Amino acid sequence: MNPLDLVNSLVPELTASFTPTYVFTFGDSGIGVTQYIFWMCITFALTLIVVLACGKHLQLVPTNRFVGMVEQGYGMVRRDMGENPIGHGFEKHIPFLATLFFFILISNFVGLIPGCKTPTGTISVTWCLSLISFVYFNYWGIRAHGGWGYIKHIAPSGLPKVMVPIIWFFEFLSLVLRALTLTVRLYGNMFAGHMALGIFSIFAYAFLWAGIQNGLAGIVTGGMSILWMLLLFAMYALETLVAFLQAYVFAVLSGVYIGLAVAEH
Amino acid sequence: MEITLAAMKLVGYGLGAIGPGIGIGIACYGCCVGTARQPELAGRLFTNFILGAALAEALALLGFVLVFIL
Repeated sequence: MNPLDLVNSLVPELTASFTPTYVFTFGDSGIGVTQYIFWMCITFALTLIVVLACGKHLQLVPTNRFVGMVEQGYGMVRRDMGENPIGHGFEKHIPFLATLFFFILISNFVGLIPGCKTPTGTISVTWCLSLISFVYFNYWGIRAHGGWGYIKHIAPSGLPKVMVPIIWFFEFLSLVLRALTLTVRLYGNMFAGHMALGIFSIFAYAFLWAGIQNGLAGIVTGGMSILWMLLLFAMYALETLVAFLQAYVFAVLSGVYIGLAVAEH
Repeated sequence: MEITLAAMKLVGYGLGAIGPGIGIGIACYGCCVGTARQPELAGRLFTNFILGAALAEALALLGFVLVFIL
């Protein structure tokens, strides 16, 4: 029995598990909750529990380890996503950035638990997140410069008059693309990472099963599955890093975009 | 092996990922060198690195989207 044939027969099942399907529907209305939205609600609840539980035990010097951990995260949001990219007047954007960061972080980590789905592994959730960020930084840009002022502000000042329309066009294109890239970066990283984890576990399973089927001659094939297993653990460690990094990058980029939108020339 | 449209899409995406890969590599190199020379600027350098990497990465992500929608 060839293990690769077994892999080929198992991959469609894996891809099918990634397509959104209704977990339950509300009667015959055709409106339902997919597995991603189900886990998104759980993530909402978790985020609220973590942040509220931490907020109840605030002290000047935190003695509780859990509170200290959440405060570290909040301090990082304040420093890396507020103070550095936005600069003057960053305090009013911190609640938004901290909400984004904690929600994406917890939803990425929920997906790492076997059996759970990450809400950010579907493009609709990440579209929503990036649209919220897009609308938010444009709103603050318009508030800071006024409607016409913000449109002029897209092109950097101090350019020769002839160059302004061309540069403005490209800057405008990159402004619109920000919504798309924020979406696809988070979605692509989470989706591809979980797909890779699934593929590696299928490989480990298929090689082990083929080894058992082949009897004594299958020891080499079965032994290969240990290698796949080790690779799976390495990939899992990498995914843990990526889960943190993508939440960090999303929040930092939102901060940078807000900083660019409200910056004075 | 027959050449299918899906296979060509993947090849195109692979080719499209070369440029951003080199670009992010150069940006990361610059960030590391700058931080080593002036560690107190690490925070601002890293923010700028993330912004530059995001701009370079946009091209690879466009390729990723095009694979799905074409």
